Amino acid sequence: MSYLNDIILFNFIYCKIYLLKSLTPVTPTNMKDILKKALSAGPASALELLYNRYSGMLFSYILQFAPDRTMAGKQLVKIFSLLGPRLPAAFDSQLSIYCWLQIEARKIILEYTSKNVNEHPGTDEQPGVDGSLRVDGAPGIDGRRSGGGYFALLAEAPPEHQWVFRELFIYGRQKEELALQSGKDLAYISCTLRECLFIIRKNLG
Amino acid sequence: MNIELYIQSGIVESYVLGLASPAEVAEFERLLPHFPLLKDALSDFEYQLELFAIDHEVPPPPGSRERIEARLRETPAVRRTIHEEKRYRREASGDYIRVEASSDQIKVHKYWRPAFIVIFILSKILLALAIYYFVEYRHAQKQIIQLEQQGGKKGG
Repeated sequence: MSYLNDIILFNFIYCKIYLLKSLTPVTPTNMKDILKKALSAGPASALELLYNRYSGMLFSYILQFAPDRTMAGKQLVKIFSLLGPRLPAAFDSQLSIYCWLQIEARKIILEYTSKNVNEHPGTDEQPGVDGSLRVDGAPGIDGRRSGGGYFALLAEAPPEHQWVFRELFIYGRQKEELALQSGKDLAYISCTLRECLFIIRKNLG
Repeated sequence: MNIELYIQSGIVESYVLGLASPAEVAEFERLLPHFPLLKDALSDFEYQLELFAIDHEVPPPPGSRERIEARLRETPAVRRTIHEEKRYRREASGDYIRVEASSDQIKVHKYWRPAFIVIFILSKILLALAIYYFVEYRHAQKQIIQLEQQGGKKGG
């Protein structure tokens, strides 16, 4: 009988240890260590790890830039297939793996968009040339789902703020370029962006 | 430098969202090791952003993983590393027993190992049974001879 008790006690302790291990949060630092170990086995392992952990989060992020789920899915595939050689840079970055991934994803999307615009002018991927036309326009007028993601955090901001943030974040335009095209000065654009970031921070917290 | 004013300028958010200019990025990364407050602000915003992303997670379309794998296989450099990686994984997981790659050796699948052990144990059991029944047979034969002799004496 005491033997049976020992077995039950052992199983209980084992289950407790297993649960504690599985519930331990993965911090940005140890995520970098985990990714480093995975990368030492090869880029495919590291990409698999990133896909398992971040694909849902990243897909939601990409939906801000893409007109629909199909296009966003294509972008996701493109991003993961281009990430391999860029992975070592994640360890040198000051950012967490997820934030680094977001920035890389945005770079790839913007590169793809500008390439697409140059090759096929007038398509849906073309960023607006006349920014001033969209100042009073509804968010996401060009088909992009800019009503979700960070734009959900900016819902309370005036349309002009949303427009500035959209032009800078979604289309990757420069503040100077935006100031020139909208007829506002650079200080005004910078101040508007700062207010947008403040609203995002406030709503995130 | 007033670091609190610097943080309030929105530089942390700009840096994390990729909206900072190269000059701003360089300045931020230069200042970061010297100001723990800046580091804390960065970690805090990253944490909030990651929580937001987890809350708004959307599963990718089905088949995305397969398409990524197919794209990776098409890339020559990655294809080579995938091949090496598969070999590494196979060796690490012990799918096959490592044997020397020389002509006088054979490669056997790892399933042969338990099969050999089972065959060996079975052969030992059968040998023991054979010896046991042989001894029993001899013993029975002796008893028959003894009974026959006893029967002969009684008959005589």
